[in-house]
Amino acid sequence: MRKVKYKDSIREAMMEEMAKDTNIILVGEDIAKGYEGCFGVTKGICDTFGEKRIIDMPICEASVIGCALGASQLGIKVIAEIMFEDFITVCFDGIVNQAAKLKTLSGGQYNSTIVIRTPGGSAGFGAQHSQCLESIFMHVPGLYIALPSNAYDAKGLMKTAINFGEPVLFFEHQKLYNTESDIPDEEYSIPFGCANIINEGKDVTVVAFSYMALLAMDACRDLESDYGVSIELIDPRTLVPLDFDTIAKSVKKTGRLVTVEEGVLRGGAGSEIVARVEEECFDFLDAPAKRIAALNFPVPISPLMEKAVVPNKDRIIKEISEYLGLK
Amino acid sequence: MDFMDIENDLMLELYRKLFLCRRFEEKVYQLILDGVVLGSVHLSTGEEAAAVGTIGALEKTDYILPTHRGHCQHLSKGAEPDKLMAELAGKETGYCKGNSGSIHIFDRENNNLGSNGIVGAQFPITVGAGMAIKYKKLNSCVVCFTGDGATNQGWFYELLNLMSLWQLPVIIVCVNNLYGMGTPYSETSLASVNEKPRLFKIRSEVVDGNDVEAVYIIMKELVELAKKESKPALLECLTYRWMGHSAFDQRPYRPKEEIEKWKNLDPIKRAETKLISRGIKSNIINEIKERVNNQVEEAASFAINSKFPEFNVSMQM
Repeated sequence: MRKVKYKDSIREAMMEEMAKDTNIILVGEDIAKGYEGCFGVTKGICDTFGEKRIIDMPICEASVIGCALGASQLGIKVIAEIMFEDFITVCFDGIVNQAAKLKTLSGGQYNSTIVIRTPGGSAGFGAQHSQCLESIFMHVPGLYIALPSNAYDAKGLMKTAINFGEPVLFFEHQKLYNTESDIPDEEYSIPFGCANIINEGKDVTVVAFSYMALLAMDACRDLESDYGVSIELIDPRTLVPLDFDTIAKSVKKTGRLVTVEEGVLRGGAGSEIVARVEEECFDFLDAPAKRIAALNFPVPISPLMEKAVVPNKDRIIKEISEYLGLK
Repeated sequence: MDFMDIENDLMLELYRKLFLCRRFEEKVYQLILDGVVLGSVHLSTGEEAAAVGTIGALEKTDYILPTHRGHCQHLSKGAEPDKLMAELAGKETGYCKGNSGSIHIFDRENNNLGSNGIVGAQFPITVGAGMAIKYKKLNSCVVCFTGDGATNQGWFYELLNLMSLWQLPVIIVCVNNLYGMGTPYSETSLASVNEKPRLFKIRSEVVDGNDVEAVYIIMKELVELAKKESKPALLECLTYRWMGHSAFDQRPYRPKEEIEKWKNLDPIKRAETKLISRGIKSNIINEIKERVNNQVEEAASFAINSKFPEFNVSMQM
């Protein structure tokens, strides 16, 4: 076991796979030389594999994704970096109309074997450098969505993503990059659609992913010690495919559900999870489910405003304790 | 025979393809009216020489990205008329198992990377195809088709920049049929299509797009440069679409004289005249016509007699 940072674990996964398969390449903006990635995720990759396999592109996000799409049709596995999740809107067509539909439209002749890595989440950079847009892509059949909440998961999920054979959106989080996990020395991967039960409990099921899983873990620890409440915390790790069985099994045990996400409340991932639980587990619920999410407002730059809009640990504690009637 | 003329055998083959494209499109139109061909369909009657001449200069190992108005491009690259017609009819025997219809046809066997329902979306994908050819050191080029209208999309300039910066073996073939849907090109841009690549130091050529021989000859040169020296280029083929933008467009925006003028420049009649002037007997031409007529009739029957695919809930993604 070694302590490894989230950003380093993603790099390890990519470099291990690149060493095995010369058909894996990286494309993005400022990823190869100089910056070596805006957040340093691709640091050192160019030194090892050269500019031929890690390709710096001009500022043209649509063509970054297009480059990945076209190359994948010629049998190359491409990992594309979009510097901030917000910039993904510039290449929306390539993801939604091309990558997601290629397999179906071509009758299985082609598929987009691409991974799109991009960091989201609020870290004080304002409305166009802070968003969590995963729910937009959940709405599009044909896309697969991973959101690792820690370094161990990040490496294991990236390994799966690269060899998944379908287009994968790999949502990283700006605030997780320097967090550390124990990582085994031997190789491992984490399958998609396999939730992680972070904490077992019996009073309420909390579903949280990405950075919110980390905050929820903290919040739940406080709630357990302050109120003696027993919380089952589940990190789905991937939203598509979603390990609904694990969530349903938990809700059937606890009778209560809270979802926590950093994307906005309206039309969020939590809405989908809650709707399915109410459709399929209604008889087991002792109370209506509860969603904790960002408020329906662009992420502000100003700290008081940001605190009010984006969920934080205090708000998670407050809302869960209110939901459970804890005093 | 002119020094620049191409051999009679090749000219006959190009003629066969022109005639196949024409008959195929005519049949498609009839099958739209019959309710057999489904969805959004864009015919390229009158524009056949641009597809046949450019793709005629390619090998099977070269790649193409056709446009939404792409039937002639698919056929020229080697698509079988029956599987193509079946796809247009949404049948399971079609190229894409009936999932695609007319505007997004893929034919992997012939290195056809697929046409696109999003006008201009082929540009970013072309970047990747060109990059991959270089990465894998393939002796291939990629031809990205576009209409005149799509050259106003922002993606077009990203492609020009990257094919120039990386010196990709990419040739953009612009089938300039004068209209983007109902809007004349002249009302959409002050720069002509062939001027646009020049800023990026890309070779740019214009050709009479209704002269299949002229198209073939210039394309052959560009393909050789792309494959041997990885030199990108753009070829603008000046032509005209006889039919509406889509099958039900009555074309009120176009003057009658304009249509008549271009019908007089029919690429198929011109190719036929050339063949006869070079001593090809009319019975040989008639044989080609008969063979193609039968082939297209068979394609229509194949499409009509094939089954629709069925949906299964497990297909959900």
